[in-house]
Amino acid sequence: MKIAVCVSHVPDTATKINIGSDGKTIDPNGVTYIVNPYDEFAIEEALKTKEKLGGEVVVISVGNDANKETLRKALAMGADSAVLLKDENQRDSFGIAKALAEEIKLQNAELVFFGKQSVDYDNSITGQLTAELLNYNSVSVVVNLNIDGNKITAEREIEGGKEVVETSLPVVITAQKGLNEPRYASLKGIMAAKKKTIEEKEAVAANLFVEVVEMKKPAPKQAGKILGSDSSAVSELVKLLREEAKVI
Amino acid sequence: MIIKSDKSSFQSYLTDSSNYKGNAEKLFMPESIQELKELVIDCNRKKTKLTVSGNGTGLTGGRVPDNGFIISLEKFNEILNLDEKNKTVTVQPAVLLNDLQSFVEQKNLFYPPDPTERNSFIGGNIATNASGARTFKYGPTRDYVNKLKVLNPNGEILELDRNINDRSFKFLKNFNIKKPLTSKNASGFFCEENLHLIDLFIGSEGLLGIIIEAELKLIDLPKEVFSAVAFFDSENDALNFIEESKTLSFNNQSIIGARGLEFFDEHSLIFLSKDFPNIPNSAKAAVWFEQEIIRNEDEIFENWSFLLEKYKYSADSAWFASDPKDYEKFKDFRHSISWKVNEYIAQKNFKKVGTDVAVPDKDFHDFYFWCKKLVSDSNLHFVSYGHFGNSHLHLNMLPKSDAEYKTAKENYYLICKKTVELNGTISAEHGIGKLKREYFELMYSEEEILQMAKIKKHFDENLILNIGNIIDPRFYEMV
Ligand SMILES: Cc1cc2nc3c(=O)[nH]c(=O)nc-3n(C[C@H](O)[C@H](O)[C@H](O)COP(=O)(O)OP(=O)(O)OC[C@H]3O[C@@H](n4cnc5c(N)ncnc54)[C@H](O)[C@@H]3O)c2cc1C
Repeated sequence: MKIAVCVSHVPDTATKINIGSDGKTIDPNGVTYIVNPYDEFAIEEALKTKEKLGGEVVVISVGNDANKETLRKALAMGADSAVLLKDENQRDSFGIAKALAEEIKLQNAELVFFGKQSVDYDNSITGQLTAELLNYNSVSVVVNLNIDGNKITAEREIEGGKEVVETSLPVVITAQKGLNEPRYASLKGIMAAKKKTIEEKEAVAANLFVEVVEMKKPAPKQAGKILGSDSSAVSELVKLLREEAKVI
Repeated sequence: MIIKSDKSSFQSYLTDSSNYKGNAEKLFMPESIQELKELVIDCNRKKTKLTVSGNGTGLTGGRVPDNGFIISLEKFNEILNLDEKNKTVTVQPAVLLNDLQSFVEQKNLFYPPDPTERNSFIGGNIATNASGARTFKYGPTRDYVNKLKVLNPNGEILELDRNINDRSFKFLKNFNIKKPLTSKNASGFFCEENLHLIDLFIGSEGLLGIIIEAELKLIDLPKEVFSAVAFFDSENDALNFIEESKTLSFNNQSIIGARGLEFFDEHSLIFLSKDFPNIPNSAKAAVWFEQEIIRNEDEIFENWSFLLEKYKYSADSAWFASDPKDYEKFKDFRHSISWKVNEYIAQKNFKKVGTDVAVPDKDFHDFYFWCKKLVSDSNLHFVSYGHFGNSHLHLNMLPKSDAEYKTAKENYYLICKKTVELNGTISAEHGIGKLKREYFELMYSEEEILQMAKIKKHFDENLILNIGNIIDPRFYEMV
């Protein structure tokens, strides 16, 4: 079975983000980029599935040359091949889904993994849009997955509990933390990844529906105050909570 | 100047990360060098004891006073100048190590010393000659101090510059104590032939003067770093792997050149397993290592791969960083063990008895198993890890009762004694402070300690500064 994993290349949640001079995009200068953390669960699940059921894992990303780093990491973790769908311009979720759906069709992949959301723009929608464009089943926010022949049993997180869903291939699964524990690359994997080529092609054109008008940073937090490190500071703390912060 | 006379307002300064408790009358927080100087001169005249406080992350009670006044340097926290061309940075003593490192790295420069506790002050690092994982390749803090400005107990400011020959001091002429045969040492005053005055001050735990400014040496930031955590089914294999990696790293013909080589035993891995679920259950030991990569990446990987296989690492479960996040995660793996142990102890209200010993490389293997047997035979819980690239062992005994605590202390004594027999050092990085003087006296003869006491008196006639650190006060009466 061909398994596809769609991955995005996002700013590390620990780095400081600045807004670009156009006021609409993230300024990539000085920002460390990483594999979208939820996509790591998707990659791991694809690899585990392959190890159990056989098949081949292809990772796909939409973006520019920088995304190769993320594809390279997926290869180092154990993916068999990688495709970069190139577009220098920022696309909306639909534009990305369109390009991915086209490639998944070409790849003939029946099982497709996404992260449940990409931590850059947090739209949480690309997986479902892709499923719709492909006319595949889709289960999102999955924390447990079992594949038995054609039958898929997936556990998903819902408000205050869990829900078990049954469906069948072809399917798009979006991964939530807890689905598995992503592996680190092996030395063999890193060495093999360096020898693999990343296939590059233009992402198919798509009409965009969402336009970013403006990006703003949240108002800066006020500096904290340290009053002491033991019980002697408590009375001062209570006083300030009452008089200054007015919360008690 | 901020002055606190109510003890409850400076309680936290009466201890450090060792939990050793002390006492003081007042705390002074000078806001200018002039204020600091006047205070010191006044105290010197009145013979009031002064103890210098860094950020209190020390593990030997060094900043904890027994009496007198505390001087906290925390207001001197500015990075004064970065000279990108000559690759130096000038700092005040209370700059946090963490802030300094991030600051220079933004400019593509690198400050190699990396003690695990990044919330320590640079002044504290210099006073204890702190070191870390990268000391394996780059040496301790000492190697990165170009210049120091030091305020002496008599109010005089000394400007020490490594490039100016400050080597012919009469009072230092006969200073000659034995040097441990280890690659790291933080026990007592530094001594070598043609000793430079700056080296005497570095690592002297505030006995000779107050560090008020330092110029530090930087290097270019290494861009590509290969980072890994390998697991082994036997400790012996892990130790042999480290030993050969170490030899190869110092061999110019070899392409292997680790910048850090650290060991974790089975118990450490249990402590870490909650935060790092990928640790394989079967692992009996792990080794974390890093190498900077400039060229020949493939060849470097192949060489490491060969070496790892030779020592039967668990190839399927080893971790290799493939992006900056992994790299940071592995660094966390290395850093969090000391935190985890401290957290556990605090939770259970246990006391930790932990070694900071290093021995000559050739003896390390047997020494490690000797220590382990000693501690296992006495039925104590323990966790061992350390900078094994420098033959430096943190063996932490975790006694659960007073009786066990007593046994742990006895073991600690025996381990220090063995260390000294092997020409090792009883403190490779934390220093002596007030807590390790007894063991320090195993390492040096009375005559040697008296030489140090004499040097102390040369700079601090009235014996006011940081009294109790390194040298037991009874020695001062003998010189
Ligand atoms: C979790 C943990 C991990 C640690 N890991 C390491 C490690 O890997 N390597 C290592 O070397 N240490 C380590 N330490 C010990 C500690 O962080 C170092 O000793 C550090 O250098 C102390 O810095 P500080 O600013 O906290 O100094 P303090 O604890 O405040 O003081 C230390 C000594 O330096 C003197 N001093 C401080 N500033 C000055 C000054 N400006 N002039 C003169 N004397 C001064 C003090 O009087 C005292 O004697 C660790 C500690 C903890 C809690």
